[in-house]
Amino acid sequence: MFTHTTRRRLVIGGAALTATALALTGCGRSADSGDSAPKATTSIGDGPATGELSVWAMGTEGENLPKLTAAFEQANPGVKVKVTPIPWDAAHSKFTTAITAQTVPDAAMVGTTWMGEFADLDALDPTPASIDTSGFFEGANETTKVGETSYGVPWYVETRLVYYRKDLAAKAGITTPPTDWDGLKAMAKAMKEKAGAKYGINLQPGGTGSWQTVMPFAWSAGAAITGDDQKEFTFDTPEMQEGLKYYQSFFTDKLAGTDLPPNQTEAQFVSGQVPMFISGPWMAGSVAKLGGEKIKPNIGVFQLPKNKTATSFVGGSNFVVFKNSKNKDSAWKLVKWLSDAKTQAQWFKLSTDLPAVKSAWEDPSIASDPLLPVFGKQLEDAKAPPAIVNWEQVATAFDAEVEKMAKSGQSPADTAKAIQTKAASIGTGS
Amino acid sequence: MSSATLQAPEVPQRKSSGPAARSRRSGARGRQTAAAWILTLPFVVLFLAFTAGPVLGSLGMSFTDLKQRDLRTPFAVNGVGFSNYVKALQDETFRKAALNTAYFVLVGVPLTLALALAAAVLLDRGVKRFQSLFKVAYYLPVITSIVAIAVIWRFVLAPESGLLNTVLSWVGIDGPNWLASKTWAMPSLIMMAVWRNFGSAMIIFLAGLQGIPATVEEAGQLDGAGSWQRFRYLIVPLLRPTILFTSVTTGIGYLQFFEEPFVMTQGGPLNSTVSVSMYTYQQFGFGNYGVATAMSYILFVVIAVITFIQFRLLREK
Repeated sequence: MFTHTTRRRLVIGGAALTATALALTGCGRSADSGDSAPKATTSIGDGPATGELSVWAMGTEGENLPKLTAAFEQANPGVKVKVTPIPWDAAHSKFTTAITAQTVPDAAMVGTTWMGEFADLDALDPTPASIDTSGFFEGANETTKVGETSYGVPWYVETRLVYYRKDLAAKAGITTPPTDWDGLKAMAKAMKEKAGAKYGINLQPGGTGSWQTVMPFAWSAGAAITGDDQKEFTFDTPEMQEGLKYYQSFFTDKLAGTDLPPNQTEAQFVSGQVPMFISGPWMAGSVAKLGGEKIKPNIGVFQLPKNKTATSFVGGSNFVVFKNSKNKDSAWKLVKWLSDAKTQAQWFKLSTDLPAVKSAWEDPSIASDPLLPVFGKQLEDAKAPPAIVNWEQVATAFDAEVEKMAKSGQSPADTAKAIQTKAASIGTGS
Repeated sequence: MSSATLQAPEVPQRKSSGPAARSRRSGARGRQTAAAWILTLPFVVLFLAFTAGPVLGSLGMSFTDLKQRDLRTPFAVNGVGFSNYVKALQDETFRKAALNTAYFVLVGVPLTLALALAAAVLLDRGVKRFQSLFKVAYYLPVITSIVAIAVIWRFVLAPESGLLNTVLSWVGIDGPNWLASKTWAMPSLIMMAVWRNFGSAMIIFLAGLQGIPATVEEAGQLDGAGSWQRFRYLIVPLLRPTILFTSVTTGIGYLQFFEEPFVMTQGGPLNSTVSVSMYTYQQFGFGNYGVATAMSYILFVVIAVITFIQFRLLREK
């Protein structure tokens, strides 16, 4: 009954945004949409950082970052860093509004899949050449690039592994984790038949974000989201179909369920109902939180199984400097400092976010962990979607088709075709 | 409203006549008019700036190819005529959303009104003693945050251990996985929406019922009408304006159905609960402002037409 207020706000908000934008920028479509890649305009000076820096960061990162920047302020007495924490679900619209109204902070944490969109809005400052990016994981480095240009640096990373219950795997007669597609399938089957599980593995039957679990299989089969020039989508290929077919077979063989309540992955893992799933490093913590000390020694992880490759998904966040920042030099100094191996190791201890710099993984706090080094190994072969302006929209279409494939038996070939048709009509946006 | 306050002071002057009185009066009226304009000016300015302006702006937007990246140069976008409207109507998911919304309205509105009227009659006739307590109890869901309601309903609708399925299992029925089932997701949301919204219609019905003089029913009783007959042929016709009001407001609210699928199902499974408002919202999020505003105006026209029909059917004869 009161839903009309919500909708009215949306319509009015959209128009008000336009009005604000009008007032702020005057009119005339800018002519700078040339094809030549933008070059870095900022070079980092040698002196210490000075002045005031405003920084935005989301979620727990936003809450923890001030502890880290305090050290930066100590090393650079002339600088004052003000961190504004932003809730994740409001972040995207807050950024786009700020970009439109030109009220951006100096630097910010940005989700990797937003890079293309923000670069397209001409909001980001290209990374200065003096920042060395060779120490980052390759997959993470790729997420900062839009076309040929890099904007910002990877700040922290995450990748996905297969989690499994060690005790139940032993019961199912599996002593060494599988390394190929057939092996994973056989393991899920054994979990169901010999270890008393309801389903062998928990795979998302479509819905928001399911592309993050499906794409690794397609990538491993040799598929790609776009051609090399990132202008055309290539969803309808035999490789993509192979990945989809493998994913669907878990549902048709009843090794994965479409009827499980969402957000119960940890509970089903602890109870042994569904003793395997594919997810990121944070799950080790939330499983242990739910299952207590008893479950901890039974949490195992292994790398994604191999087809042509064994490619996983790389996520995380980047750190960027905005073009409209008044203090770019100091902002880049902060970003450079954040991507230093020592700072990254320290940040891991504060936040448990995994470092994007490879050498930081040698820190004992990570190297001696029973699970984390496996994530480090998987990061050597992990991919992110290309930085496409319309990615969020394409991903939503992808998720919807995967849902049809998992739940109502749409064939992998039709699924690939439908994704391709929808993605092509949405366009890459560039 | 403002004209009534303007004319009120004239009444005592009516009796006086003659040129002197007349001119004095028109001078006073001029000053009053000026004062009225000055006093309403803040509202007029705010209305133009924050309601009329944006509404007209968004109407204009629906005829352009405005995307998020164009927001900085909005005057340079291209007019595209009705193609956004065509695109919206050709969109498979939008059509599915329209069907879902129609389903929700056609089932939800009658259920809500029937439940509200039944509760109001019970409160008005039956439970005199704890009336206020029941009024509060029924109205409570209306003022509770949808997020809190969603948490509770997830427990109610949970597949194995949920309250609803537990109760069903007592009578030997194996309840479905409500929110994950293509067939049952929409009925679940309707159930939740009716429970959440009938309280506000009930309060209005109750006020309407209490406005009907007791003598009307007494007269019916003397004529030998039974309680159902009195309800059907006396109370319902007298409640006609109230029924019109509640059906219009409930209908508009339900046509803009957004929060329930947004918090409970995100439109799933297989788009079976995606609503027009929700899909429009999604398009705004993707930065497709042209198509999204076109969808908003399609919904606006539909609501206007339906409301017009309701007024036609239920107006006083």
